[in-house]
Amino acid sequence: MTTAPGSAPTPPRRFDLRRNSTLLAVGLMVVLVAVNALLQSNFFRPGILLSNLSTFLPLMMIAVGQCYVVLGGSIDLSLGAIVSLVNVIVVVVAETVGGIPGVAVGMVAGLAAGAACGAVNGALIALFRLQAVVTTFATSIIIGGLALMVLPQAGGALPAAYYLTYGGALLGVPFVLIVLGALIGAVVWIAGTRFHTHLLAIGGNRQGAYQTGLPVARLRVQSHALAGLMAAIGALCILGVTGAGDPLMGQAFTLGSVSAVVLGGAALAGGWGSAIGAILGGAILGLINNVIFFANIDYQYQSIVQGVIILLALAAGIFVSRKPG
Amino acid sequence: MAEFALRAAGITRRFGPLVAVDDCSFDLERGEVHALLGSNGCGKSTLCKVMAGALTADSGEVRLDGVVTAFRGPLDARRGGIATVYQEMSLIPTLSVMENIALGNEPRRGGRVDRAALRAQTRGLMASVGALAQGLDPAALVGDLPVDRQQIVEILKALALQPRVILFDESTSSLDRSQVDAFFALVRRLKGQAVSIIFISHRMEEIFAIADRVTVMQNGRYVATRRIAETDRDELVALMVGGRRDKAVTGARVLDAAPMMQIGGLTGGRLKGVTTALRPGEILGLGGLHGQGQSDFLLALFGASPVTGGTVTLAGRPYRPTTPFAALRMGLSYVSGDRGRAGSLHGRPILENLSLALLARRGGIVANRRALAAGMGGIVERLKLKFGKLSHAIGTLSGGNQQKVILGRALAATPRVLLLDDPTKGIDVRAKEDLYALLRELGAQGTAVILYSSEDQELLDNADRVLVFNGGQVVAELAGERLTEYDLYSAALQSAA
Repeated sequence: MTTAPGSAPTPPRRFDLRRNSTLLAVGLMVVLVAVNALLQSNFFRPGILLSNLSTFLPLMMIAVGQCYVVLGGSIDLSLGAIVSLVNVIVVVVAETVGGIPGVAVGMVAGLAAGAACGAVNGALIALFRLQAVVTTFATSIIIGGLALMVLPQAGGALPAAYYLTYGGALLGVPFVLIVLGALIGAVVWIAGTRFHTHLLAIGGNRQGAYQTGLPVARLRVQSHALAGLMAAIGALCILGVTGAGDPLMGQAFTLGSVSAVVLGGAALAGGWGSAIGAILGGAILGLINNVIFFANIDYQYQSIVQGVIILLALAAGIFVSRKPG
Repeated sequence: MAEFALRAAGITRRFGPLVAVDDCSFDLERGEVHALLGSNGCGKSTLCKVMAGALTADSGEVRLDGVVTAFRGPLDARRGGIATVYQEMSLIPTLSVMENIALGNEPRRGGRVDRAALRAQTRGLMASVGALAQGLDPAALVGDLPVDRQQIVEILKALALQPRVILFDESTSSLDRSQVDAFFALVRRLKGQAVSIIFISHRMEEIFAIADRVTVMQNGRYVATRRIAETDRDELVALMVGGRRDKAVTGARVLDAAPMMQIGGLTGGRLKGVTTALRPGEILGLGGLHGQGQSDFLLALFGASPVTGGTVTLAGRPYRPTTPFAALRMGLSYVSGDRGRAGSLHGRPILENLSLALLARRGGIVANRRALAAGMGGIVERLKLKFGKLSHAIGTLSGGNQQKVILGRALAATPRVLLLDDPTKGIDVRAKEDLYALLRELGAQGTAVILYSSEDQELLDNADRVLVFNGGQVVAELAGERLTEYDLYSAALQSAA
């Protein structure tokens, strides 16, 4: 092919594969579903699928929250602690108020607490220009401490109606499926908003975004608040499975959410990725756990195998996207 | 009386102890192209940022159409009718061309970005600028575009809000000739629509081609404003450097000291047997057309490019470095004009950037920051470096000052031989003169310099002797009476066929 002199040829698109970075997550999903189905013969039974979904949902929620923060060039290492805090707030408030109204008040209180924690993180990072990693690590310790203050030991329970609803169905549609549908709908809707574009902009080139006139600080606070809110929703989903208060519930979710975001094709440096990818990433991590469980691996080796699989999955993604388009 | 689109009066802006703009005034008539000229780091960009609302002034006021502006930020200024096309790009590499152009002002529909309208809007804008935006794909990611295309997107972004005043901060430096022509056509069309334009460029011929008036700044201060029809290149250069420039003295000397470095038949890479000798204190120039082996010669001596044949002796002993680290320890330093790629540790403090070579040469494990800073004081002074603090990142400096830091790094190691690879690329007249004055000073202390420059005049002004390269060989050695522009030019073209 020749190019007319004077007109610069369009360069090959380096980002093409990354542009479809969620495709990699889809690919991983397919492989893991296949492996899972081989190991677990009844994997495709609706009951099993739904029970899997109900255990995957919390991480999906938290990963979506983490994803918005990461897209904006930040990170939140306190999401796990927020999950713990919300978990105990909901249980304690619900028990104190009592009955179904208590559950409702508890849920509202939990969601508000989650969003507030996120907003504080965002404000510290954006207004005082603190580093996100260190700041949210510090606040995670504080938030974890608050959770222990609210409920020093695991205990307390929500009325059975709560987890019966979560595990049940609404108008014949399984509740967890409705929640997943709502999550996907919300994520797709947000992807088309100015907020989302502006978040990608501050993640891609913060200085440029500022020069352009975007409200950088406000966007950062908003994204952290949104992450806190998503962590709180994740905590509500966890309660739908466990139904009990546990101040150490959330710990594993912090790095789990970061892994899910990266597996979903987002760049940790910011400016690149999608929340749909984060949902897939959450499912991938859940499936990896399933595979390990059904592969009859000795307990003491499980976490090593899990780590190696996650590493391989990440490497696969990076390897494929590095190939020249 | 002329009608002013924009007037800035008594603007002062400090960064810490550094006064970037000092009591500067500037006015812009409606529909004029007003060039802003000055050496790197003279405060042009800072003044522009103040006028465009990206920085606040410590004192002074800016009037837009006679009204004092109090912009709450860059977007406010853009909405108020002032757009800036920045030199350092304000684009988001991970967003598409159209998303970048509309950033902050996306058309909305039902709470979401209306992508169809966005596309149509972008196409309309591209059509309105003529040839400049030809072949640009609105959906392409900006990070995938070459620099010239990115600059064009930056221009489109500024035009998107239909500003009444536009600041072009070195917008032409990354464009090629035909793109510059298309850009000038656009500027003339904007003028016709009574848009007022501030134009910053280092290319004098562009200023004479497009500007109506020119204002010269020096050291953060206003120097003078001239109508372009009533001035000439010499006067502007004189205003920039602050005083009439002396007729270049032929500084070429004939040195009779014994050579400190003997190079015999150096071969490797593009080099095909280069033989010469270097005396202490000498400035040996490398001339010829671009890319005839001059850089290879310097890199081979610095151990950064493979050598397959020939001998080199340094102070009577065989010299055969295989790595730059070895060359540094033998007393050679190398400075490239390509500071972004080859030189600076971006984001690291000035002090670290300065002391890198010294640390490499001296060895040792622990470096005492305070002792280092004290040791660098003399160098900083000799370089006439303009900076806030040594602990500030090198990225906070202007291009010319960054280059001085890179040179200072080489000097800190007190080299016996200094290798300079087009060291003045992209820096201004003033910084160049400082740099060459420093080279002569070094020569007096016995340091020999091998200098490649892509500007013939720099070689003629500063070298004692010039080797003219062609196809990896030295085709002529010019010294004494033969060191003239004519001889240099003819030798370079001699056997180019």
